[in-house]
Parts: sequence; structure tokens; C-alpha cells
Amino acid sequence: MFASFFESIKYVGHLVPIAFLRIFIGYYYLHLALEKFKGDFLSRPRFSAGIAEMLPSLNIPSWYKHFLESQVVPHWQATAFVIVGLEFALAFSYILGYVTRPMALLGLLYSLNLLMLSEPAFAAFHKTFIAIHFVMAWVGAGRCLGLDYYFFKRRRGVWW
Amino acid sequence: MRNFILYLIIVFGGLFAAVSWKAQRDQKLSSIPVLKVFGSSSFISQWGPGPWLKEEFEKTCECRVEFFDGADSTILFQRLKVEGRSGGADVVLGFDQFDLEMIQQGLEWKPIDHAGYNFFPEVSSVVNLSPLIPYNWSILAFVFKKSENSSLPNRLDDLLKPEFKGKIALQDPRTSSPGLQFLLWLIRVKGEEEAFSFVRKLQNQVSTYAPSWSGAYGQFTKGQVLTAFSYVTSPVYHFVEEKNQDVVAAEFVEGHPIQYEFVGIPGTCKHCDLAQKFVKLLLSPVGQKMIMEKNYMFPAVRGIKEGTPFASVPKYKTLTFEAPSSAAERERILKRWSVQRRGD
Repeated sequence: MFASFFESIKYVGHLVPIAFLRIFIGYYYLHLALEKFKGDFLSRPRFSAGIAEMLPSLNIPSWYKHFLESQVVPHWQATAFVIVGLEFALAFSYILGYVTRPMALLGLLYSLNLLMLSEPAFAAFHKTFIAIHFVMAWVGAGRCLGLDYYFFKRRRGVWW
Repeated sequence: MRNFILYLIIVFGGLFAAVSWKAQRDQKLSSIPVLKVFGSSSFISQWGPGPWLKEEFEKTCECRVEFFDGADSTILFQRLKVEGRSGGADVVLGFDQFDLEMIQQGLEWKPIDHAGYNFFPEVSSVVNLSPLIPYNWSILAFVFKKSENSSLPNRLDDLLKPEFKGKIALQDPRTSSPGLQFLLWLIRVKGEEEAFSFVRKLQNQVSTYAPSWSGAYGQFTKGQVLTAFSYVTSPVYHFVEEKNQDVVAAEFVEGHPIQYEFVGIPGTCKHCDLAQKFVKLLLSPVGQKMIMEKNYMFPAVRGIKEGTPFASVPKYKTLTFEAPSSAAERERILKRWSVQRRGD
């Protein structure tokens, strides 16, 4: 049984369940992005106001704190635009399975930022998302039920 | 790498274009007047008449209509009083006849021109009660399923029959207007002492005093009770929506109370002319028909229900209209009801 346990690492399965998870996460990001786009996220400094309020209590590296204070909070419109853009990009990428690997890495970075800025109650949620993005990038989740397969067949390489 | 960068450029470029378009649209919208209409959630919800009225009004008014959920009438009144002009309410919908005294205390209302409308006789008696105008009404009655009741009761005392033990859904008079109507109905036809004695006897018959009409009626539709206090127009809902002709409203010899809903224009309105036009649409034949069909209440104006299932509702004996008792008097009655219900 123990031998089988280690031998099972060679087991190769279908990517369909991963593709399902990818599309589901894509839909989740699409919903998030549309909510922000339709609401006042882009026209009012909600995100940066939240950060400014939380900054003193955040346990983050000083360079990151400085970056938030000097760049993110004052340039709230650009920040909000990048956040919504990133969520749309993640949504379309995951739903279509296009450039999934690099987008998953961007998603990982995004979730990492949210993890650092979130309250402890939400930490587990963001950690889960980091793990999901990591797996998406690792397996190349766009190769199954995704446009990435077209490019993977022709070009190979780490991007697909 | 090239595909990835191109993808990001397309997404962010698309978002930039969408944001610019949205900003332009918002700027354009902010330059036209906004008519703020406060109404009950059932009126402004997608199933209510609100969205249709909004669309119809915006076709000609060169304005935008925004709905706000007024929630409970007391909360809405407090909000109007506190916010005044800054709240910006132009039209307020959903007050009933018991609210009329309250809403005229410390609040001014613009008169609404109601000349030329052919109101039902039941409605005419309340048109001049206040500066607010009734826009729909219905008669309150107990509804039953014919299949579950071989013979329908025809008087209040019939509700005490053993077959109705624990099978009547009523509304709490402290939180629900139909609940209050029932209590005042009893007092009116029996006198206060006998009415409270009747309420005591009714305790065993009542399954629940639901906080709202929908709570009590939900018990009836789920088959948990044999009857609920509702409207004579409720059977029309079952006929139209479910093709179900099993639900009927029983006529009682005592005569039935009537529930009205009123619309008003606060004195602090910002777009008073538009508000008057909106009320005109509300009382117009198309507006009244829409309210009747969505709210399942009678239109205030005659000549609307002919040729519709509402015309088949039989004529019920109603109580002649009496101005509602004062708020202080109602409070005293409700306190007495609460004490009796607690069993003190």
C-alpha cells in the first residue's frame, strides 16, 4: 500500500475537472469585475480609503506600506482601474482558457496583495485562491477546454 | 509573450473605452432632472407596476425616474420629516388610510388636482380626506379553498366553529395594516368589549398572527391553514397566475372593511410639476390598469376593470366609510390587544 502511495505520483488523469474549476473561477472574477464596473468603485476612492484606514494596523513590510502610502492611496483612480482591468483579464482568460498560465501568475500576485491587505478573517479565503492560481499556472489549465491548446500544439513552450 | 501582452492591451483598452463611455453617459444623465419616487417594495419591485410606470413616464418627461424603497410607512414618514428637501422625495406612494393622520403632522403636502376623475363610490368618500389621493383599493375578506370547505362561513361568529381550530391565519395588528383592519372591523360591528371577548375566543382558532400580510397568506397557499385574512381580489391572482379557480373570498353579512393606498406629493418636492404629471399617469387608464394587474387591487378610477378577470369579482357588502379613529385611540386599542394576547 505504501509503495502504491508513492507510485501513484505517476498517475496521469484528465484535466476536465481542473477546466471546470478554471471556468468557475473565471465566472467568479467576471462577477466581481462587473459589480465594480457597474457600481462606484471606479469613480470613488473606496478601495484606497479602505487601505488608508487599515494601514496603521496592517502587519506588512515597511517598503510595501510606503508603496501603498505614496502610490496606491494618492493614485486611487489608476489603482481602481488596474484592479478592475485585472479582474476582467482574469475572468476572460479563465473562461476562454487563453494565456491562462501567465494570467494565473498575475492572479497569484493579485491574491497575495489582497492577502496582505485583508483582515485575518479573510486570510484563508485568499490563501485558497493563491493555491488555485498556482495550480492553474502549474498544470497549464487552458490546455483543456481552452484556446491555449491551439497554441500549445503548434508552439509548445512555457507560456501555454 | 506577445499574445499575453496583446491580450492585456485589448482587455485594458476595452475597459478604458467602456469607462469613458460610462462617464459620458453619466454626465448626460446628470444633466436631466431626476424624479424621486418613494414606494413600497412590492410597488417598485420588478413584479410591481413601478418599472412599467417608470418606462412609460420617461418616454415623455425628459427626466429620469428613480425609485426608493419606502419600507414601512412609519419609517418612511420619519425619513420624509427628517430629510425634508435634502431627501428629495417628489412622490410618495403606499400610505393607507390609517397613516393619513400621522403624515399630516409636521409635513406639508401639495394638493393634487383630482377633478375630472370618475372614482368608484367607495373611493370618492376618501378622496377629500387629505391632500393625498387613493390610487388603488380592495375589500378585505377571508379567503378559502372551495375544495377544502364544503360550506363557506358567512358571518364572523362562524370563524369560531370547531373545524377552524388552529386553521386561521391572521396578521398582527401592531405591524400589519390588514391585521389592524380586522381588529377595527370587530370593534365596529361588535363594540369594543364584545370584540375583545371575540378575540379571546378566537385565540384557539388562530394558527398564527403573522407580522405581515404575506406571512399569513403564505400559510394559506401552503395549505397550513384553511383560511387567511386577505382581499377579495386575491382569488383573481390565483385565477390569472395559476389558472386556479379554487380560491374564493367569503362574503360576511356584517359587511367588509376596505383598504386604500394613497399617493402624495410632499411640500418639499424638488420637481413638483413632474410629480403632478407622474400622479396623472398613475390615475390615467393605462396606469390604473397596470396597477390593477400588478398589485391585484381594484383601480381607483372606474372603467378600467371591465373585460378583465377583476370584473368577475362579485359585489361584496362593505362597511360605509368612517374616518379612521385617531392614532392615540388606535394605540390604546393595540395596547389592550397586546395585553390580552400576552394573557395578562
